[in-house]
Amino acid sequence: MRLDPSILARIQFAFTVSFHIVFPTMSIGLASFLAVIEALWLKTKDSIYLEIYKFWLSIFAMGFGVGVVTGIVLSFEFGLGFARFAEIAGPAIGPMIALEVLTAFFLEAGFLGIMMFGLHRVGPKLHFIATCMVAVGTLISASWILSANSWMQTPAGVAIHGDHLTVLNWRDVIVNPSWPYRLPHMISAAYLTASFMVAGVGAWYLLRGIHQGFARRTVALGTAFATVLIAGQVFIGDILYGTMLKYQPPKMQAAEGFWEEKSQSPAPYYWFIIPDQPNQRNRLELGMPYLGSIWLTHSLRGRVEGLKNTPRDRQPRMAMVFYAFRIMYGLAILMFGIGVASLWLRFRGRLFASRWFLWTLVFMTPSGIIATLAGWYVAETGRQPWVIYGILRTVDAVSPVPARALLSTLIGFICVYSVFFSAFLIFTLRIIRLGPAEAPPHAEASGSLKNAFRPQVLDSPARVVSTQSS
Amino acid sequence: MDLPLLSASFLAFALTMYAILDGFDLGVGILLLFQPVAASRDHMVDCITPTWDGNETWIIMAGVTLLAAFPTAYSILLPAFYLPVILMLLALGFRGVSFEFRVQTTRLRRRWDIAFGIGSLVAALMQGLILGGVVQGVTVQNGRFAGSVLDIVRPLPIISGVTLGIGYAVLGAGWLNLKANSPVQHFAKRCVRICSPAFTVLFGIACLYAARIQPFIRAKWGSHEIALTCLIAAFAAVAGTLTVLTEKLRASVLFFLGLSVFAVGISGIALIIFPDIVPCSVSLWDAASSSTSQCFVLIGAAFVTPVVLGYSAFAYWIFRGKTPEEGWGE
Repeated sequence: MRLDPSILARIQFAFTVSFHIVFPTMSIGLASFLAVIEALWLKTKDSIYLEIYKFWLSIFAMGFGVGVVTGIVLSFEFGLGFARFAEIAGPAIGPMIALEVLTAFFLEAGFLGIMMFGLHRVGPKLHFIATCMVAVGTLISASWILSANSWMQTPAGVAIHGDHLTVLNWRDVIVNPSWPYRLPHMISAAYLTASFMVAGVGAWYLLRGIHQGFARRTVALGTAFATVLIAGQVFIGDILYGTMLKYQPPKMQAAEGFWEEKSQSPAPYYWFIIPDQPNQRNRLELGMPYLGSIWLTHSLRGRVEGLKNTPRDRQPRMAMVFYAFRIMYGLAILMFGIGVASLWLRFRGRLFASRWFLWTLVFMTPSGIIATLAGWYVAETGRQPWVIYGILRTVDAVSPVPARALLSTLIGFICVYSVFFSAFLIFTLRIIRLGPAEAPPHAEASGSLKNAFRPQVLDSPARVVSTQSS
Repeated sequence: MDLPLLSASFLAFALTMYAILDGFDLGVGILLLFQPVAASRDHMVDCITPTWDGNETWIIMAGVTLLAAFPTAYSILLPAFYLPVILMLLALGFRGVSFEFRVQTTRLRRRWDIAFGIGSLVAALMQGLILGGVVQGVTVQNGRFAGSVLDIVRPLPIISGVTLGIGYAVLGAGWLNLKANSPVQHFAKRCVRICSPAFTVLFGIACLYAARIQPFIRAKWGSHEIALTCLIAAFAAVAGTLTVLTEKLRASVLFFLGLSVFAVGISGIALIIFPDIVPCSVSLWDAASSSTSQCFVLIGAAFVTPVVLGYSAFAYWIFRGKTPEEGWGE
């Protein structure tokens, strides 16, 4: 069998980037969640918030660690697998990622140590600032990297002469047409991810009848955040859909599963298709009548544009885009339903008692992660065959590295990442099983920057820690 | 203004920061393999836990600066060092997750410590291998890498891999001597006494061997005779002091001398490679991206780097003094 380097390079990048994005999605969400929790703790002095903080901090720390080490891989992988892409796109995306490192990575890394180990050294107020800095760092990081990726989706602000790309206007590159919608879409996806994780773990404790105080607070907070966020997310998603339809029609044509230039009228909304890409048709299609016209054209009998509007050599693979989109969309509808149900149950005072609802929350714990991954698959597979839309094709971007080297490193990545993932899962489940440690009933000594300057803070960490944990 | 030269200076700055800061983290990791006492291993890891993440970030800074300012060099060097770069990334991965995972388990902590140590060791070896590979030279045709990914398995890269691993161990031992309590401190001093002469000798061998196989290094010797002689004298003086006076020097001076050895070594290598970025084939100016890209990075770096250095120093200062015996708590 002859191995194709371009396929192997793509599989390797897809695997490593998919694995990576799971962790920043959690980190972005959990960092802001932790900042909110610590603010509530400082305001109310209720020790339950400290308990919630410490519990989720330990999971956040592990996820952050895996996110960091798998993220470093990506900053080199542009050159490892896709040297031509790096050479051409480097002048545009390189500086943005450089600024991401300067303004976000260092900020997160610098304050993470204080966030994790510094509470007794710097006191609660300065510690809260450290938590906020880490949370802000994750948001700045998301902003730059979404800018870089959105530029690959909707490139703007550059001129190309042969192999050389020159940036004409940085504002156009950074604020490219899809970025203003993709950034809030990703951030609310990350927040939804954290909300469902937090609510799911709390629901599990309620069902088991343990850690009631912790569980009630986290289920209440998690479902409240999720309800607000999913309403916003549906709205942002709709605007983004319109933007992508304008700038990348093939992606949205593939996402809806129609082939003909104009679909039948009224158009159904497909939930299941078996696409036959070579013959440009579906072997099987199942959908709800009228719904396609109503959702996609906002009219009762409107026709939807199909993938045949795009020349064959510029079409993405329909199956990938269609199903990734269905998974994301299906989960969003479920989340919306849960949001509505939680409002109703809250109104009736049965939020912590309704077992079917709590079980649903438990099953929805990883829903945000899955929906986010699916969303990225829509974005990335739907952009194919381009790596920079309309400028550089993916097959032309590959490095001069032999297929055998690519295959062996791909296997290496799969083995190593499996170890990371298993360990993360085992330890996270163990933390959840052990449950939150009771926080001390008395409030912490009021700390301030001055406290950090006092020598006794340094001399007696052991005593402070042992009295806190006893 | 010569923008590529400024960008190259920033790149060299980021690489130097990485080598000395993550150098001592990796060194502590390597020494973990030689520490039989479990409690001492915990203490050693505690010495670097609060600040390692920021140290590691400098390698991303260096990699991304190369991508932004010298995309041609980035697209030649990464395929050329495909295997060592990926091995380094996987090794850094093991090292990084071990910080988080080892504290989650007492039964399997020994295994995560081994992963930590081997991860650190392999990362150091691969970084040395890449450095040796750069000095050895990369086959380039029409601005693309045209050699084999296995060109790296030659004597010079291997010697420089081992040299860098031992050099990092010297830095790690210097840091432990500064931050750790007495049993680990004795261990650290012993490591300095063993590793620092080994590092000096190996570095000398690597330099001589590089000069033998690379005519351009001999040519550089002719044109930069005085500067290179001074650097060699400085290297010998600092490394000698480090070896002979290990017991007598204050911990902070000892650590500072370790950093100085690295700074001198890096300056020498930079002097030899300059003004190329891929030796003998691509100069800084040929590899540079357009001035708009260079400006964007440089202006950003000029404003943000001082702030980064400020709060990084603050984080070090928060965790100043000896590492508490029972760890950082929480």
